Amino acid sequence: MEKVLRPVFILLLLMFCVSSLAFSCVGKSLEIGMTGSVQQEVLANIIAELIDERTGTSVKIVSFESSDEAHAALLKADIDMYVEYTGVGQTVILQAQPMADAAELYKAVKDRYNEELNLIWLKPLGFDAAQSLGVTLPAEAAPVVRKDTLKKFPALARLINKLGGKIDHQTISSLVKEASTGQPKQVAHGFLKNNRLI
Amino acid sequence: MGPLFSILFLFLLTSCVPLQKTEVGNLVISDKQVWQGEKRINGIIRVTREGSLTLLPGTRLVFSRIDHDADGIGDAELFVEGEFVARGTKTQPILLTSAAENPQPGDWKFLYFDYARKVEIEYLISEYAYSGVQVHFCRAQISRSEFRYNIDGVRFSTANISLKNSYLHHNRHGIRYEERGGRGVVQQNRISDNQIGIFAVTRGAGLTLFEQNDIIDNKPYQVKMGLQQTTALDFPRNWWGDVRGLSAETVFDQRRDRSLGRVTATEPLDRSIDAIR
Repeated sequence: MEKVLRPVFILLLLMFCVSSLAFSCVGKSLEIGMTGSVQQEVLANIIAELIDERTGTSVKIVSFESSDEAHAALLKADIDMYVEYTGVGQTVILQAQPMADAAELYKAVKDRYNEELNLIWLKPLGFDAAQSLGVTLPAEAAPVVRKDTLKKFPALARLINKLGGKIDHQTISSLVKEASTGQPKQVAHGFLKNNRLI
Repeated sequence: MGPLFSILFLFLLTSCVPLQKTEVGNLVISDKQVWQGEKRINGIIRVTREGSLTLLPGTRLVFSRIDHDADGIGDAELFVEGEFVARGTKTQPILLTSAAENPQPGDWKFLYFDYARKVEIEYLISEYAYSGVQVHFCRAQISRSEFRYNIDGVRFSTANISLKNSYLHHNRHGIRYEERGGRGVVQQNRISDNQIGIFAVTRGAGLTLFEQNDIIDNKPYQVKMGLQQTTALDFPRNWWGDVRGLSAETVFDQRRDRSLGRVTATEPLDRSIDAIR
């Protein structure tokens, strides 16, 4: 039996390897969602530029009207990731009670997204958007990524997590101001270059 | 005498017929074909394992800008699993280009070799593609050719490639490669004015020899290590545009990200090899 199964297994393994390599070689893209604001556009471009520059994988940015829409697209695998805010994740997406402690809130949404939705919250970027979103509970910004995307691109989490804690309140304000009158892609590129990330 | 005259007459007649511009949509080539003149490519040309495509000197393949999947990369391509021979001449190079009025990198996808049986390219120009050429899991001989205005000029993975006497310029990446056990030779080329001269994406172990090339004026980086290129790589005996050799400022490696391997450029040349002849 083993003699019969071994060649089949090897063939399947080879087919899998070739198809995986083909995906990485053809130059197809990852897709990042964003939800309209200049802040979201800057963050999406920062992640896109980082992935593109460091791995050579092309990244396409897709715009949505709201977090609800972006989240639905993420669940359907229409996109691979987008930047969400912990407070929005907790109260709008998960329909759960607000929480006042930022660290506990992050842990709560991270755990439930992982267990119930197969989505992974990566490291918070370093600023709280509660004020700009007009909410009172904490709203730390962090990339949320499909688990199967991370399986296909095993180095992706480590790469995106290089942004963890790198964008404080002052930095995001400055980047948003710059992008309001310029090209978000160039602003993102400049930020990454200045921080020696690309 | 009669039949011989007829054959000669027919030969002269076909030789004198003006070359026609023809349109080609999706096409699978499983026989032996020889192309010449200009062809407008509106889809995917696939040369199967049994097939063979020869491009004669002066042939022009003009790829339409088609983007069915809206990923920003053109979909027209030439995909080869069989034989491909494109030997132009210095005065009659073979041209692969975009049909767009205002052509841009990525207008068409690529000239792609996947487990190809035979790849021989000489005096070929490939421009405005996502990749001027991609070579995977096979041998390829490329010489005296030019790759310009592409995202990737020359890209290869797990391939035994010989790239010589060619000019790679004004691409995003002059050369982008994933060695993965392949053994390549990259010699006597001019790799200049790209954003990245050489992009070693991953799984490089120094089996691909880059030597006696002019690698100059690639900005911001002459050599860049990809996120997963953790092994050190040496690029010996090249001219880097400076008698002092390769400047650390023009390299993205361990000195910028500790998880990456380090780039060295031993025995740098003190002058240009004058690769373009």
